[in-house]
Amino acid sequence: MAENTPSTETRGGRSRGSSEFRNYEEWFTASPDPWAEIAKLEHGSDRTFATTVRSMVMNAEPAQRPAMETRLLQVLANPKSTEVARMFIVRMLALIGSEKCVPALAPLLADPRTTDVARYALDEITDPAIDEIYRNALGQLSGPAKVGLIGSIGLRGDIKAIGALIALEKNAGETAEVRTAATRALERLTTKA
Amino acid sequence: MNPLYALSRREFLRNSAVVGAAVALPAILPSRLFGQNAPSKQITVGFIGVGNIAQGHMDTLLGFDDVRILAVSDVDRAHRDAAAKHINTGYGKNDCKAYADFREMLARPDLDAIWVCTPDHWHALAAIEAMRHGKDVYVEKPLTLTIREGRELVNAARKYNRVAQTGTQQRSSKRFHDTAEFIRNGGLGKLDRIDILIPANNKHCGATWAAEPVPEGLDWDMWLGPAPWRPFNRQGCHYNFRFILDCAAGQVTNWGVHYIDIAQWALGMDESGPVEIEGHGEFPTTGLFSTATKVDFTCRYANGVMLRCHTRYDGVGDGNVRFFGERGWVDVSRSANTASDPMLLKEITARQGAIKIPLSTNHHDNFISCIRSRQRPISDVEFGHRTTSVCNLGNIAMQLGRKLRWDPVREEFADDVIANRMRQRSMRAPWSLV
Repeated sequence: MAENTPSTETRGGRSRGSSEFRNYEEWFTASPDPWAEIAKLEHGSDRTFATTVRSMVMNAEPAQRPAMETRLLQVLANPKSTEVARMFIVRMLALIGSEKCVPALAPLLADPRTTDVARYALDEITDPAIDEIYRNALGQLSGPAKVGLIGSIGLRGDIKAIGALIALEKNAGETAEVRTAATRALERLTTKA
Repeated sequence: MNPLYALSRREFLRNSAVVGAAVALPAILPSRLFGQNAPSKQITVGFIGVGNIAQGHMDTLLGFDDVRILAVSDVDRAHRDAAAKHINTGYGKNDCKAYADFREMLARPDLDAIWVCTPDHWHALAAIEAMRHGKDVYVEKPLTLTIREGRELVNAARKYNRVAQTGTQQRSSKRFHDTAEFIRNGGLGKLDRIDILIPANNKHCGATWAAEPVPEGLDWDMWLGPAPWRPFNRQGCHYNFRFILDCAAGQVTNWGVHYIDIAQWALGMDESGPVEIEGHGEFPTTGLFSTATKVDFTCRYANGVMLRCHTRYDGVGDGNVRFFGERGWVDVSRSANTASDPMLLKEITARQGAIKIPLSTNHHDNFISCIRSRQRPISDVEFGHRTTSVCNLGNIAMQLGRKLRWDPVREEFADDVIANRMRQRSMRAPWSLV
């Protein structure tokens, strides 16, 4: 982020006007905004700015995290953000995200192409709203994405999902992988219940 | 005659002990009972992952009369075919089968034990799946990639009543054993601090990288497994995965785990850990590699002892652990035992303390013996998990750059949401710890 430049400054008893500062600043290239730069991330590209944002996220005080979460969600919503950028963003949300992520991530969760992307953030957030969208997404997914989601439900210990998982386990129309995943999740949930 | 059979068993074991510096197996003939070499009594073994680290294990087991390697699996066809050929040549038979998918191999009812020698991000899933199929497991170090994976792996071992050995083989070295026992008995008087040096990174790559064609025969998607997807690049696959945070934790878990393990052992912290961690690491800000290039973290245990683990820059490709106490210091590494006073070294070898730590002089033999006796091995997975946890705690503290308080009973951080969320990671579908 660009620092605010004071209009005047006194050094050694000598006052410098704003025009002097403009000349002084011409010597430097302004640093790009790391929050804008991370939207351009690609595999193999320079990740210096991602490292900067990661440090900011990790070092954010609790009071600063909501604003930072908002900024991350803005980059996620930016249609110009690359897939790699979105992946980076959700992994940052995994560290500081809250139930505020649900509206942005629920559609991604229900799309098998991006279910994992959503889970990377949501798996770490303890909130009943997330358990609910996980249960809702069960009926919209199939294949590996569904197996992964069932695993997340099992790890979260969502006993409200037991009924849906029993139905999956018994459904001969589901793949063997989905039914096995349901069985394993049920084993975990019913042991806890 | 095949060269392997031209050697006596004793000669073979002696020679196999120098295969692979990272394995560095003790050159001691298994003391296990003889007469177990009838085919019906042999322990039958399969391997998951047969790259670099597995080769030493395979060669060692080839020298065990009462063990038979029947299967190998690897997502790299070149690796699995070479391994199966090596095993079949070693036995002079043709019955070691190669599998691309370890799950197909685990379905075989005739396998007793599995060696898990995959990259770190696969350890927990492969070991848990093997135990679920009733196999005992030997899991290469570090036990797991995350703290949660470690706890899940231990739980699985108990749930399925499996023998599970961690590949921290220094516990089967008498030098390390005697030093740990000496410290445990208060040989240095009141212990003050522990200093662990680990080598600097031994691999480097550039600041940027590009996708490369996946080599024929390598199932890259399966190689990544639970790790986030990224395109293939030769620098980020075999061996070098150690330096990518999605797959490993760098030299902290490559070398540090061995020496932290000895410290935990000496402290009697096999089922516990430190209560405070802080550190500062230098992490690459760009490029394919992402683990710390400079490691420096310190743990405080409840008894006040401080443990520091940090990178050495003297070019030595080994670690060491030095214990400091009221009577001076003792140091142990794979190459030597040194001390501030020669008398301390004599006391270490005299082993006159009242506390006797179980002694194993061969890590493989210890595991095989425990498979037969159903006892817990010298590096039981609970111990491996606790040691790996210290590594992961250090890694988390270095990334966060602040002091963290750790509850080793609940295995959670006090008052740090971000640190607690770093104890685990989501897995790419369809993989899951469930």
